[in-house]
Amino acid sequence: MPNVIFHRNGETFVGEVKENTNLVVRAGIRQFPYPNFLYGCGMGKCGKCASLIIRGGEHLPEPNWKEKKRLGARIEQGYRLACQLWLTHDVELSQEAAPLVDVVAPAGAAVGRT
Amino acid sequence: MQKLMDHVEFRAALENAIKGKSANKAPFSVAWASGKLSRAHLARWAENHYHYVGPFADYLGYIYARMPEQYQEAKDFLLANMYEEEIGGDRHTDLLIRFAEACGTTAARIKNPDNMTPTTRGLQSWCYAVAMREDPIVAVAGLVVGLESQVPSIYRKQTPTLREKYKFTDEEVEFFDLHIVSDEIHGERGYQIVLEHANTVELQQRCLKICEIGAQMRLLYTTALYHDYVASDIPLAELDLASGVSAEERVLLQA
Repeated sequence: MPNVIFHRNGETFVGEVKENTNLVVRAGIRQFPYPNFLYGCGMGKCGKCASLIIRGGEHLPEPNWKEKKRLGARIEQGYRLACQLWLTHDVELSQEAAPLVDVVAPAGAAVGRT
Repeated sequence: MQKLMDHVEFRAALENAIKGKSANKAPFSVAWASGKLSRAHLARWAENHYHYVGPFADYLGYIYARMPEQYQEAKDFLLANMYEEEIGGDRHTDLLIRFAEACGTTAARIKNPDNMTPTTRGLQSWCYAVAMREDPIVAVAGLVVGLESQVPSIYRKQTPTLREKYKFTDEEVEFFDLHIVSDEIHGERGYQIVLEHANTVELQQRCLKICEIGAQMRLLYTTALYHDYVASDIPLAELDLASGVSAEERVLLQA
């Protein structure tokens, strides 16, 4: 089962998840990494779940069309949209304290929880 | 005599109640997954599906109003689910219309209730009846656990086919992508609510029964789509229905 190491706000959260787990689904059902994980629409539209992949990125599929559209140049820096990722291997990732302003969709385009 | 199940036993029983009548086994779903449907068949599906899923927030609204006020978490979940269906991002039915237009039909045809089959009307009416009349926890079991939680497994199977065999673009099939994440959350939270609040033998048994009926209603709806729109083009003999279908289910599928 994949181990997830997640950093945010200077804190580190560690958890084990089932294979083929999506972290936004996990947060949506109130399990690790809830309540520390930023997410929004779950549709790859709002950009609030943008996460920097620190380790384990080689096991993830190539960014899909929604990630390319939303993240743009951030992909080169190692960012991915967590809502589009189903984990099969260990991963270490981080999120900023607040959603990335250059990634998040304008208000009204896609809104959700923070 | 029935006994009160713990959460693990009750969850397994709910999953079992749904599994026996999974819509994945319907001939329409089998034809879809094997790439045998035409765009015209898919357009008819969309015109029907709109009237089944389009009022989902309405169904939930009735349950919300009747959910006891002390079940705050359950009420919040229903409200969030309604919000996400309608205004949390793209309206889900707008994405369904986008797909339908790519299949060659129009928004006007999709929204016109005259274009749904009597069976679809029956499914929609059943959803309204459950939402308005059943105990709210039983209604969550029927509509969210019995119906909505099935969606990710169905769309996981169907979406790659839409891209690879039917050659739809990513934007055209976005309706299916989004439901894999959002309905997984909704289905799982539905389970959590039912597990927590169905706390008597009678309530647990009613939840199991309605899950079974809900899955059966969806199977009936999907099977009718095959008979109404596809059977004359693709006979059952051309579909691989043999695997995992019991004799009892075969009777229902061929009805």
